[in-house]
Amino acid sequence: MNHRVLASTLAAAVLLAAPLFAQAPAASTKTAPAAAVKTPAAAATAIPRTADGHPDFSGVFSNASAVPVARPANCGTKEVYTPEDLAAGMGGARGCGAAAAGGGRGGAGRGGAGRGAAGRGAANIDPETGQPALQVHYDVSQFGLDATHATRAASLRTSIITGPEGKLPPLTPEAQKRQADLRAYNAQHQWDGPESRPLGERCIMWPAEGPPMMPEGYNSDLQISQGPGYVAVTQEMIHDTRIIPTDGRPHLPANVQQWFGDPRGHWEGDTLVVETTNFTNRTTLQQAPTTDKMKVTERFTRVDANTVKYQFTVDDPGTWTKPWSGELNMTKIDSPLYEYACHEGNYGMANNLSGQRAVEKKAAEQK
Amino acid sequence: MRGWFERWFGGLIVVASAVAACLVFSVIPVSGQAPAPAYKAPRTKDGKADLNGIWEAIDTANWDLRAHAAAQGPVLSLGAEFSIPPGPGVIEGDGEIPYLPAAAEQQKKNFANRLALDPEVKCYMGGVPRSTYMPYPFQIIQSPKTITMHYEFAGAFRSINMEKPTEAPADSWMGWSTGHWEGDTLVVVVTDQNDQTWFDRAGDFHSNALKVTERYTPRSTDVLMYEATIEDPKTFSRPWKISVPLYRHVEKNAQIMEYKCNEFAEEVLYGKYRKQSSK
Amino acid sequence: MRKTLAVLVASVGLLLSAAPMWAHHAFASEFDEKKPLKLHGVVTKWELVNPHSWIHLDVKNPDGTVTAWTIEGGSPNALFRLGFTKNSLPEGTELIIEGYQAKDGANRGVGAKLTYMDGKSLFLKPAGEDK
Repeated sequence: MNHRVLASTLAAAVLLAAPLFAQAPAASTKTAPAAAVKTPAAAATAIPRTADGHPDFSGVFSNASAVPVARPANCGTKEVYTPEDLAAGMGGARGCGAAAAGGGRGGAGRGGAGRGAAGRGAANIDPETGQPALQVHYDVSQFGLDATHATRAASLRTSIITGPEGKLPPLTPEAQKRQADLRAYNAQHQWDGPESRPLGERCIMWPAEGPPMMPEGYNSDLQISQGPGYVAVTQEMIHDTRIIPTDGRPHLPANVQQWFGDPRGHWEGDTLVVETTNFTNRTTLQQAPTTDKMKVTERFTRVDANTVKYQFTVDDPGTWTKPWSGELNMTKIDSPLYEYACHEGNYGMANNLSGQRAVEKKAAEQK
Repeated sequence: MRGWFERWFGGLIVVASAVAACLVFSVIPVSGQAPAPAYKAPRTKDGKADLNGIWEAIDTANWDLRAHAAAQGPVLSLGAEFSIPPGPGVIEGDGEIPYLPAAAEQQKKNFANRLALDPEVKCYMGGVPRSTYMPYPFQIIQSPKTITMHYEFAGAFRSINMEKPTEAPADSWMGWSTGHWEGDTLVVVVTDQNDQTWFDRAGDFHSNALKVTERYTPRSTDVLMYEATIEDPKTFSRPWKISVPLYRHVEKNAQIMEYKCNEFAEEVLYGKYRKQSSK
Repeated sequence: MRKTLAVLVASVGLLLSAAPMWAHHAFASEFDEKKPLKLHGVVTKWELVNPHSWIHLDVKNPDGTVTAWTIEGGSPNALFRLGFTKNSLPEGTELIIEGYQAKDGANRGVGAKLTYMDGKSLFLKPAGEDK
């Protein structure tokens, strides 16, 4: 055997054996550890990131809030409390008025409903009389559904609505007419059948679900999950998920209208910006019947490992004379979302309607 | 000297190449002998098979898990549009569901009364496994600690805990899901479902002792194999298993759309309470 | 700063900013304030569902017969977060329920006050009760 044959045989052997070695690296990546590779900046802010470098919003959060939607009148244009304001007893519905002696505890609030012993009772206060309500209702605090059991992100805001006015802009004349027509209709027909009941009672959607997402009276929780090209936001009531594509695709055609609209997201630095269109004209927002031309813009920004800042702007020229915006914080909670199978357990709809039929029957018999 | 060295070394090379060739050829499959190498899905950031995507089953399992011929549907006025399409069945083994005797009787009653009893008619969430093979898409969104599944029908949702198992506080429609990985297979154990859901439109049902063990295995870029083992000692005499391929929605801009069907079930559920004069 | 923030959270006004919780629930049509109830019964089932949970109980009537009643409660989700489970109200538990009966006259009511036989409230302390 001469050297050339020897050399070429060796080379052939190496080439044939090469695939064996090529497979080995694949096997070793299979068990890569789950720990994220942190850049110095990411480690400093402790904001987790996904593989594509965007902040990771995954988690379960509460957006319950003690901040009123509209600014108490006595706060004027003041958007944010200072620590001194809080120490002086300002906050919540009391707004910027100083509390009675006692520095924010036991002070007399509106309608005489104070804190302390009667504090928990406020959950069953009749909103019209300001007095403890006739309890033709289960006791919410027994079930942990009152304000004291909600987990809230801290906030120094005087109101959720931002800007110098801190309240909703006026309704357009068309919106006022729609509202009046709706009230007139309800006065006559609100018990006709399931379709004449509010959307919440029909378990179609809860008013605060939005978008924009507002604090609920209880179970004000949401879960965010995030994968390549999508962010999904699921609200506990009523397990509704908005799946937000972030790949730049267009909206659905305008004739496709959905209860929660059609969201499209994109990133502006570390902020997820979501624009939602394609609403129906069958929903109300802050008691105003909105149009199918409404556009809601939301901005999610991770403030730290536990807090997400949530900002929104509502633009519906057919309903409000100008756009309005709001801001609140969401805080991570240490529990999963629990199933809220509203429609499946909705005995109330049948009970309410049958109750009303019984009332009508009795009234007819008495005539 | 050169001669014997070359002969010895040359022989060694020949042997070495032969050994190398054998090793190489033992990995390259010869058709008809060893199975094709398992498909390796792309990886997520944490090194797991990437199951993200919008998936849907193509089969008639939602009509009837068993093999069945075409048949008249339950609403005559919908004619062929709502007739029962044929299907080869998705149950492994003998293709039968091993009901205990009393449960077998109950299934027959369910079938006879299925329009009134099928939770799907009322837009109730489908539970697991039915939600997987209903003829609507669902989306998997995957992160290391949690994998969420979003079903189009009734907007059903479940969150699979990939960390330390926890206990369900109560029964629910979509159950309590705990997951782990076995290689590229996502294994999900679903417990604590209530007894209200069915497996299909043919009245196949279960008790609240149901335990479902699901296996999601990537088969190719666009196909995910789904297997579910059903265990329910109150209803069945032994565990049984179904398998259904899930196909990826590859069309541009595929998306889950809103299918809040409860308003379409209101007449069925509440029509009898409607105010008569308003009709 | 953190301490004062905590004070803000703790000393918040109790009139909630969101719409009142009962706004979604037409209690005025389902239950009748003119039909108050006081039931002493034994739990047969606790339905942990939404939007309302339901306690089913057997109530012994003065004539010895037994009537099955269904009592509406709140969403159980907050109870889950506080560690309550389906085992927290076992079958056979004796309860006293004060509330109001359904307008359609069925054996159904809303439980405004739920206590054990010793007067201790079910689940959590109700509104207005001090330690």
